Amino acid sequence: MPLKSQLRYHARPIALGLVLAAVVIAGLSLAIPSPPEPGVALDEVPYYQLPFGPDEAGDPRPFWPSRMQTASGQFANPATIPSSAECATCHQREFEEWLPSLHAYAGLDNVYEKTVEANEDLLGHGVEQARFCEGCHSPAELLTGRTNRFTSVMPSDAAAEGVSCIACHTAVHADPEQGNGALTLTLETSLDQLSGPLLVAAPRDHARAFGAERTNELIKTSGFCGGCHTEILDASMSKSTEPHYAQATYQEWQGSWYEENDITCQDCHMAPDPAGYVQRLRDGHVAKPERYTHRFIGANYLLFDTSLGSNLAFLRGGFLPGMSQERQLELIEQQGEATRALLRAAAGLELRDTRTSDGTLHVDIAVQNLGAGHNLPTGVLDQKHMWLEVRLRDAEGRVVFHSGAYDADTGEVAEGAVRWMEIFRDSEGKPIRDHLTFQTAAIDWERKTIPPKGEDVVGYDIPLPEAGTGPYAIEARLWYTVALPELLFNNLRVEMPVPPLELAELSAEISRP
Amino acid sequence: MLHHHARTLLATAIAAGLFASPALAATDGEQQGLEEVKQFTLTHNARLIDQATELLDAVETYANVIAEHDGDYAAAWEAEGDTLAATIHEIRQVWLATSNEYETIEGIVAGIPETAKYDLILDAGNPGSATEDVAEYDLTLPDGSVLERPGNLFHGITEPMFWGAEPEHVMLDADLDGNGTITRGEVLFDANLALGAAQAIDHWSRELEKDMSAWAPNRDDAFTAVVTMTPTVGDYFGEWKESQFINGEIGAFVARSRLVDVQGIMGGCRKMYFEAISPVVAQGDAALDTSIRNGFEDLLGLVEETYQREQAGERFTAEEADALGNDAQDIADRIVAMVLQAAAKNDVTIRG
Repeated sequence: MPLKSQLRYHARPIALGLVLAAVVIAGLSLAIPSPPEPGVALDEVPYYQLPFGPDEAGDPRPFWPSRMQTASGQFANPATIPSSAECATCHQREFEEWLPSLHAYAGLDNVYEKTVEANEDLLGHGVEQARFCEGCHSPAELLTGRTNRFTSVMPSDAAAEGVSCIACHTAVHADPEQGNGALTLTLETSLDQLSGPLLVAAPRDHARAFGAERTNELIKTSGFCGGCHTEILDASMSKSTEPHYAQATYQEWQGSWYEENDITCQDCHMAPDPAGYVQRLRDGHVAKPERYTHRFIGANYLLFDTSLGSNLAFLRGGFLPGMSQERQLELIEQQGEATRALLRAAAGLELRDTRTSDGTLHVDIAVQNLGAGHNLPTGVLDQKHMWLEVRLRDAEGRVVFHSGAYDADTGEVAEGAVRWMEIFRDSEGKPIRDHLTFQTAAIDWERKTIPPKGEDVVGYDIPLPEAGTGPYAIEARLWYTVALPELLFNNLRVEMPVPPLELAELSAEISRP
Repeated sequence: MLHHHARTLLATAIAAGLFASPALAATDGEQQGLEEVKQFTLTHNARLIDQATELLDAVETYANVIAEHDGDYAAAWEAEGDTLAATIHEIRQVWLATSNEYETIEGIVAGIPETAKYDLILDAGNPGSATEDVAEYDLTLPDGSVLERPGNLFHGITEPMFWGAEPEHVMLDADLDGNGTITRGEVLFDANLALGAAQAIDHWSRELEKDMSAWAPNRDDAFTAVVTMTPTVGDYFGEWKESQFINGEIGAFVARSRLVDVQGIMGGCRKMYFEAISPVVAQGDAALDTSIRNGFEDLLGLVEETYQREQAGERFTAEEADALGNDAQDIADRIVAMVLQAAAKNDVTIRG
């Protein structure tokens, strides 16, 4: 039979077969449930308020005035995002490193919580205004829609964890120039299709969810950290009529020796021994650390001060679940040591010049940024600051000059001290000393901070007593603190002088010519 | 015939409209529950007045000592320092209790159009220099001077004054705790302003009660009450947790967190839910109603058990207090989330 005839002969059964196949395929596709649409739409979160209006394109801005967002713009479902305690099932070492860290406590610590409460009503938008803070301090809380006057979204362990595993390991974009939380996370779509022991059977599925190549590349960069460690106050969240940098850590790093040598934030702050690593950098060795830890050693020594006893629990807002309190305190103590060592590795003092004329001793002291890849100090500097204490004694040991004295009872530093810090001011120009960010209209420098590998020479003119005799002994101490006493008193209602940390000291003998 | 159908349709539409109106949809059980909501609010308003009276008494004691020395704060401190220090301590403690009592009903006060002005006057309003949310009242002081629209009484005037955070109102630095050094907040404040402000808190708390008495709660109000009051329980419990952490090394003026208060407020919230809201929620989603009811029972059980342990003399470790406080907050958050979900299903308007 010719081919044409054969085709004609079999045409009917072939057509029937094709139709049957199509029906079977269609039936199967209907029978197998399609995966749920990831994320939660805005209108599925009852009573969610949008007091800041739409963006320029007319689209809603559910996370504004934070620039933190999800990739789709949808909310994440708190029931589907894993807590760090869940990640610890397999990643125990990373969990132990992270749990005592300030990233873990970023959304929990009482200083933060009470300061947010003090701020949130200042601009008349209530709790929703705090989205600005929560973006960086508690991204999962924000991105699940829980930062709202009426919270219809269920709480979850993951949302309560501050800057947790998923806050970094789902990131796909960062904008360190804009800052204010300018990170895009895929919390709403980074979901394992399998969970528990089945992860082991399908590791690629897990890697797709939390270890995508672009995420892994992004989170190695300083620009990723800059998404949050750049803070610019403007009319969206303060009384500033023009943008003011409140935190410029990323910009301080840009163009520095560290950037030129590809030394990133992660290299120092995630090194196993950050102070040792910084010392190696100071010695000119620019190799990367042997591994990266999740301790994120930084500058807040106060929240690692275990000598505060249970008051430390008060400041930290309690303890995160997943580890005994005893073990957490051990790890806090270890991270405290690393924090203090890192701070001390960054700073130095040098006596540059002494000269006398007309009964006045002139002293020049160089305050040096020896090991920080950003300015010294850095961060939000209306609270964190550094000051220099200088004391001159005569031959009999009598103090003839004292600048920068610290009063341990009040936590105050004597007026006239040389301080590296910013002053936040309200609309009337009055200084704000308790971090009421939303009330801030302008920011002044008391003294500009010291750039990487830079120094600031401070001069003192000290009148010498006529009857005084040399030689004189000069002592200088460079102090650092993380908070003014007004912050704790006004916002937490505790009278607690914050003990400062000595970064560097020098002493020398000066003969009177 | 057509007219007959039209009338029927019209009557049905009107009935449906009435049924959809929350205020008119109340069944007898719901109506009874709504009365409970009002009673609960009035009970706490009465406690606010009691506390305001106590605050006024304490401030009068302070002002009298200053007046006895002709307004010479240094002389008053020299002669009666101990009395002044003790009175200031009492003023601060009573202020915290008074403010907390107001916080309990703040959500309701702010949410009802007829009483919203009291929230601005007592707790949240700006001074007249602001462009919006101004507290519309003038404050007359005992010396006859009048402060025009000076801002809210709790957080705008009295809190910074009593804690020495407003330099304009500090009359004398004084070693209140007698430890030999004067630290932050150790001040004698302006007795004239303090007395005028305490009188005003007392006055406006009573005015609030008058308008609150005339209030006729509806379904929207009942839901609003539960979702605004229940989180305060978490806050109280959180304060209790923090009070367990703090030791004597740091001077702390945290509110006296009494678990018995938590029981009272939570009991009220449970009653509101069970009587006024549960019938509505159960009708549309019985499982959700059961979950909310269980949440209230869990929270009250936790509070009761903790209170009993505390009464038995147990001292909680920081870890235990933390776990209990977090559990309470978590349960309160879940209850509120579920009640809001139920509210949305029933087209309830939440105000506040």
